[in-house]
Amino acid sequence: MNDLERDIAQLIIDTLSLEDIEVSDITPSMPLFGEGLGLDSIDALELALALQKRYSIQIASDSRDARQHFTNVASLAAFVEAQQTACAS
Amino acid sequence: MAEPHTPKHHWARKKERGSFILMRFTALIARHLGRRILAPLLYMIVFYFYASDRRGRASIRQYQRSLATWSGRAELQPNHRSVFRQFMAFADCLLDRLDVWSGKLRLDQVSLDDPHDIRTRLLQSRGNGRGQILVCTHMGNLDVSRAMAELGDQVPLNVLVHTHHVGHFNRLLDEAGERRMRLIQVSELDTAQMMDLSQRIERGEWLAIAGDRVPLHGDRCVEVDFLGHTAPLPQGPWLMAGLLRCPVNLMFCLKVDGRYTIHLEPYIEGESWARGQRDATIQRWAQGYADRLAQRCLEAPAQWFNFYPYWKTPATETEHAR
Repeated sequence: MNDLERDIAQLIIDTLSLEDIEVSDITPSMPLFGEGLGLDSIDALELALALQKRYSIQIASDSRDARQHFTNVASLAAFVEAQQTACAS
Repeated sequence: MAEPHTPKHHWARKKERGSFILMRFTALIARHLGRRILAPLLYMIVFYFYASDRRGRASIRQYQRSLATWSGRAELQPNHRSVFRQFMAFADCLLDRLDVWSGKLRLDQVSLDDPHDIRTRLLQSRGNGRGQILVCTHMGNLDVSRAMAELGDQVPLNVLVHTHHVGHFNRLLDEAGERRMRLIQVSELDTAQMMDLSQRIERGEWLAIAGDRVPLHGDRCVEVDFLGHTAPLPQGPWLMAGLLRCPVNLMFCLKVDGRYTIHLEPYIEGESWARGQRDATIQRWAQGYADRLAQRCLEAPAQWFNFYPYWKTPATETEHAR
């Protein structure tokens, strides 16, 4: 897990107050929804708002696209990176 | 558009009586003929609605019966006259709405009941500070709340609605010279939209949203006890409050003894839910709102303007359980 992924994992734990879980319990490819962390659509919204604040990014696309980014920590990290590069250029 | 499981008698299926076209039409008449001539015409229209709308009559009767039983005030029990009076109160409200829109009913004619000084909070949002949420209700005169925009001076007020006619209404607002108030159409939990609303709150803008009407396509309802019976309320305002972690205030605008009063009361102080307590928290907030609503209904019994079946009946329980 790289720094950004670790950072995002911590953000997920803090935002959703996942008390029994530590960063080391989350792997980059672990699904956020269903089987994995068991998040739901409202959790995803909370997370989106937290990501927006933390990394000053925009999720401007429709919800179908957003769902792709929220697959796991790795996909979120890739999305944040892409957004930040887009903003910087 | 139509979904197979959509309840047949949902409020959005009904032509909303204060609809844009009617407003446009009556506004035109009001401008050229004045309220004195318009009033009898409007009363005739409302009488027609009263006579033809059996479901509307039954709904009001049910509301009045519940209110009387719940409060133990026998004089509020429905009869033909009291039901008709509720329709007439709505006609009266429509006329007042016209006065609001034509600028005849101004803020200085409206009383403000604001014991916790929410107005100051509103003014403080300008420039610095976060915005807040105002939860409104379809009773009394919602349009008078346009005065809220005036109250807030330069603080933008975003009114969240389910209607598709946002463009029309925003045009109407423009024509009325209103630039601080904007209508935003909200749909089911759209991430991008929620981010936009979140940014508005951070910029110090305020959001107004109705707490008493269930969205047509939404299944995010919460069941509460309202006037002694189970009624579905939208989760929307409470979800938003928890997600955006911003304070929520309740706003009611009632006409008592011929004068409007805007009642403002703080309700939630920007808390969020604890993990695993989300549904319970939303339920608690919605129920608390329903309790406040019931109290306000007692203050102005004839100004409840939801002319459709509001409560669940045991027979339709499964049909409406969405």
